[in-house]
Amino acid sequence: MKRIDVICRILLLTCLLLSCGRSYDVRPAGPGTDRTSFLFPDYQDVTIPCNIAPLNFYYTDPAGSAFRTVFSAGGVSITIKGREVVWKEKDWTRLLAAAAGSDITVTSSGRSGGHPVDRQWVIHVERDRIDPFLTYRLIEPGFEVWDELEIQERNLENFETRNISDWRHTGNRCMNCHIHAQGRGDLSMFYVRGKDGGAILNRNGVLRKLELRDSAMISSTVYGEIHPDCRFGVFSTNIIIPAMHSAGGRRMEVFDTKSDLCVADFDRNRMLTFPETARADVFETFPAFSADGRYVYYCAAPARQLPAEIDRMMYSLVRIPFDAETGTLGAPADTVWSAAERGKSVCHPKASPDGRWLLFTVADYGTFPINHRECDLCMMDLSTGTLIDLSAVNADKSDTYHSWSSDGKWFAFASKRGDGLFGKPYFSHVSPDGTVTKPFVLPQKNPHFYDNMLRSFNVPDLGNAPVGFDAQTVGELLKDAAAEPFE
Amino acid sequence: MTRKGKRLLWITPVAAMLAVCLVQCAFLVRYPYFRKYAAQNGISLREARKAWGHPSKESEWAFGLAVEASRENWDKVSALAAQDRRAEIGTYYYNLSNAMKGQLADKLMDYYQPFERGLFLPVGERSTPFKIACAGDVWFALGYMPLAERDAMLGMLFSPAHTGPRYLRRLAETNLVTGDYEAASKYLRILLNSPDERQWALERFPDRWSPSYQLRIAEKRNLAPQFDLVHGMDQAQIILRILLSSNPTNKMALDYLLCYDLLTKDLDAFVGDYDPSLTSSRLYEEAMLIFLAAKGGMSQDNFAHYHISGPVLQRFNRFVTIYRQDNGAARNLTADFADSYWYYFYFAVKNEKD
Repeated sequence: MKRIDVICRILLLTCLLLSCGRSYDVRPAGPGTDRTSFLFPDYQDVTIPCNIAPLNFYYTDPAGSAFRTVFSAGGVSITIKGREVVWKEKDWTRLLAAAAGSDITVTSSGRSGGHPVDRQWVIHVERDRIDPFLTYRLIEPGFEVWDELEIQERNLENFETRNISDWRHTGNRCMNCHIHAQGRGDLSMFYVRGKDGGAILNRNGVLRKLELRDSAMISSTVYGEIHPDCRFGVFSTNIIIPAMHSAGGRRMEVFDTKSDLCVADFDRNRMLTFPETARADVFETFPAFSADGRYVYYCAAPARQLPAEIDRMMYSLVRIPFDAETGTLGAPADTVWSAAERGKSVCHPKASPDGRWLLFTVADYGTFPINHRECDLCMMDLSTGTLIDLSAVNADKSDTYHSWSSDGKWFAFASKRGDGLFGKPYFSHVSPDGTVTKPFVLPQKNPHFYDNMLRSFNVPDLGNAPVGFDAQTVGELLKDAAAEPFE
Repeated sequence: MTRKGKRLLWITPVAAMLAVCLVQCAFLVRYPYFRKYAAQNGISLREARKAWGHPSKESEWAFGLAVEASRENWDKVSALAAQDRRAEIGTYYYNLSNAMKGQLADKLMDYYQPFERGLFLPVGERSTPFKIACAGDVWFALGYMPLAERDAMLGMLFSPAHTGPRYLRRLAETNLVTGDYEAASKYLRILLNSPDERQWALERFPDRWSPSYQLRIAEKRNLAPQFDLVHGMDQAQIILRILLSSNPTNKMALDYLLCYDLLTKDLDAFVGDYDPSLTSSRLYEEAMLIFLAAKGGMSQDNFAHYHISGPVLQRFNRFVTIYRQDNGAARNLTADFADSYWYYFYFAVKNEKD
C-alpha cells in the first residue's frame, strides 16, 4: 500500500511539473514577422465599446521577463502579472464600467535582455455599445473547396460561441456566409449549397428554405441583401471562376465571366429581373440596399476578356432606384464612385442602417479582394458625398467583408493584417463627425488563440440579437423541407 | 485469497499488457511508414486507423513514398518505387525521384505511365485526400510555390486533424522561398510549440539559416516566375511554360513539359517546346522521329539538328517494318520495343474512367 502511495505521489508531482513547465514559445516576433508589436493582439490605443469581452493578450518579446501590467481608470486599478494577461471577468467588468466614456491607462513593465522596460499606453472606452452578436463562417483557406465548415454566432460581451449551422448537420455541404439585414437578429439569411440546399431565410425566427432561381437566370443567387421592409431581397447571379496568380503573393484570384442583378419577392415567391441590370456587356454584382430602402447600390464594370484582362477589370459603384411597393429596379443608374476616374475597383458596398455612411472595399482591380494586399476599406458620407479618411483603420493586408451595427456607430470587418493568410474580425467606431477609430480584434479567452488558428473568420456580421435558430434546426430544415420554388 | 491466487491477480493484467505491447510492436515493425505518416499528420495510431483503416501492404508502400519524398530521400523513393505496382502514386514518385536526378526522360518509358497523371496528380472532386496531400511535392521541386502552397493547404484541409507537421513545414517553406516571412512566421510558431518539430522550426528562422539552407532557398528563388500571369487551377503546361520563360535553364521544368507533351501524345506541342540544345534524351529522339516521319522530314539535316543518333534511327526503322508487317498489331513489338516511345505512342490507351 505504502509503495503504491509513493508511486501515485511521484506521478502526481510529475504531472504537476509538466503542466507548470509548459509555456508557449512566442517566437518568431519583431520586425518582418506577423507579431511586430510588443503585445498581441495589439490593443494599444484602440477604441472599444463599453460592453466588450475582456481584452486578453500576451507580450511578444521572447527575451522578456517579470511582466507586470497595471490598468487604471476612474479610480480603479488592477494589476496582472505574467506574460499572458488574462482577465477575471468581474475585474474586467468593474474596470470597463469605471472607464466608460474615458480611457484606461495601461502601464506595461518588465525586463528585456536584462534591462528594465516600461511602456504606457491607453485603451479608449466608448459609451456607444456595440451590437452584442457577431456571426461569421469559419473556413480554411482552401481555394474554393471546403471541409467541415461552421457558421458561428459569438456573444461579444463574453466568450460564448454557438454554431448556427455546421457541417455535422448539413452533410458537410458548402455554406455561404450568414448576413443580418440592418443588423437585426430576427432578419437574416445564408446559403447551403448542393443537393437539398437552398437559401435559408430567417424572418422573425421562422426559417424557410428557398430556391432563389428561375430559368432565365445565369446562376442561383450569390451576393445580396434583404430590404428593410423584409419583403424583398436584391441579389447578384454570377458565373464565378477561380484562378491562380503565378507571382506577386496574391495567391488565388476569383473573377466573374457573367453577372447580373435580380430581386426576390419573399412573399410571392417570384424572381424579378430587369434589362438595366441584366446586360451582357456589363457585369453587375454586390447589390445592397440604402438604409431607407429606396435605392440599390451595386458594383458595375464593362465586360472584358478574362482572365487575360483581369488587371483592367475595374468596377464602379453605382446606385439605382428601387420601388419597395413593386420590387422594381428603376433606371438609369447613377455613378457614385467611378473606377475610370480613380483607376481602382470597388466591391461590397454596405450602407449604415442610420443612412449616414456607405462603406465599401477598394482594390487595384477585380472583384475578389481577400487575397489583394492592397485592398482597403473606404467610407463615404452620404450626406455630402465626401470620402472619409480611413487610414487609422486600414492595414497593409486585405481589409474587407465589413458589416454595420444596427445603430451605424460600429462596423466589423475581416482583416488579414499580420500573417496575410487568415482573416480575423476587427471592429471600429464611427463618430457623428466621421472620426473612425483604430480597430481592435475580436477578443478571445486564450490570448494565444489566433496563434494556433488555421481558419479564417469569413464575413463577420454584426447582429443586435441572437438569431433564433441553431445548427440542429437548420439540419432538420434541410432534411425535412423541400426548397420553395421561385418563378 | 491464496498466494497463488494473489500471484494470478497481478500476473494476468501484466501478461495482458505485455501481449498488447507485443502486438503493437509487431504492428509498428510491419507498418513503419503508417506510423510515420500518421505523425506527419499530427495524429495518433488509433486516430490514423480510424481515419485510414487498417494498413495494407499497398497503403504502407504508398505512405512510404509520401514520407520519404517529404524528406527528399530520393534514393529511398526510387527504391520503393522500384516495386512497380501500377499505381498512379507510384508513377508520380518514380518520375519525381528520377527528375531530381536529371533522369526523368531517360527512365520515363521504363515504368507504368498513366498518361499525364503520372507527372501531376490531379486535384479535384475525385481526388483522394492522400493524393491531394502528395500533389504539391512536384510543384515544390519545380520551384512553383503558388501550387506547392495550394496543395499543402488542401492537403491540410482534408487531413484528419486539419493540421500536421507535413503541411505546416511545407507552408512555412513555400513562404520562406517567396520571402513572405509574415506568413512563414505563423507556421513556424505552431511548429516551434510542437516538441518534435521544435528544432526544425528553429533552423528555419531567417536569422538562423545555415549556409546549406541559405543555398537551398536561393536555388528555389532562382526558379520562381518573374512575372505574374493569372491561370486556371490545374494548367500544368501553362505553368511549366511560365517557369521556363522566367528561367530557361530550369531543366527539370523543361523535361516535365516535354514529358507532359509526350505522355498526352501532343507531338505538335512537343516540337514547339523542344530545343535539343537545352536537353537531350533517347526519348526525345524517338518522339522526333515519329513527328519527322509523319511530316516528311526524314532528312540528314533534321537528324543532325535534333541530335538523332544512328542506333535510334535504325531501331525506329525496325519498329516501323514490324509495325507495317503486322498491320499495326503490338504482338511482335512488345518484347523489343515496350520501353520505346513509339510503343507508348501507338499502343497506350487512356482509361477514360479515371
